[in-house]
Amino acid sequence: MIAALRVEQTGCEFDELVREHQSMVFSLACHFLHDREAAEEVGQEVFMSLHRNLATIQSPAHAAFWLKKVAVQRSIDEARRRKRRPQVSLEQVAEPASSPAQGDPMLGETLRRLIATLPEAPRAVVILRYQEDLDPSEIAGILSMPVGTVKSHLQRSLTLLREKLIRRGVGEA
Amino acid sequence: MDWLEQELKSALARKEPSPGFSARVSTAARRPRIVAWPRWMAAAAAVILIAGGAAGYRQYQGMVAKEKVMLAMRIASGKLNRIQEQVMQVSR
Repeated sequence: MIAALRVEQTGCEFDELVREHQSMVFSLACHFLHDREAAEEVGQEVFMSLHRNLATIQSPAHAAFWLKKVAVQRSIDEARRRKRRPQVSLEQVAEPASSPAQGDPMLGETLRRLIATLPEAPRAVVILRYQEDLDPSEIAGILSMPVGTVKSHLQRSLTLLREKLIRRGVGEA
Repeated sequence: MDWLEQELKSALARKEPSPGFSARVSTAARRPRIVAWPRWMAAAAAVILIAGGAAGYRQYQGMVAKEKVMLAMRIASGKLNRIQEQVMQVSR
């Protein structure tokens, strides 16, 4: 009865929300933590939290926004708890053997590892920008930070990643 | 969008969780929630238990000491009685 009422009020049904957003939530955590197992745990926690807060969700768009926000927050918490950053240092990042073609899986893995070495805020910005294709104002809303800060994190992260890749003989100057 | 941004889009494409993820989440959500005690409540219970235990132990130690004192007094009293009897015998 209560569940039916919630669906009527918000247009959101829990199982449907899980099916629709599982890939987004899991990928945010996975790209942030660079660990599938930890990402599944974070994903499960995020959806359990959604289940507890379903009454506060006003619309399907609000659900998507809420899930992105909580997924990033939980990923940051998990990263801090596990102190994962020192485990993937730049020195450990494998160097691609040759100049790769676009969409090269080896370059992809190198990029994902490099992203995992970025500090928390720029990492979240880069992941939301390129995984979710969000613009800086949307990212600013999710991360509760000024648009200018988002743009500067994005710019600095791209410069840093470009430099690291070029130093490894990948990509164009 | 330059080559790096294209590569980032490709590297950060969405991934699927392991099969059965949504089923596991739905099952976990339907499970009745076990309300965990807040940490402060657990800490308070531990403090009360430790304080209660310490008080009980102190009381037990007091009882033991009291019994020892009583025993010492009984021994001393017996000895004094014997000495008094010997003194009285000598004085007769």
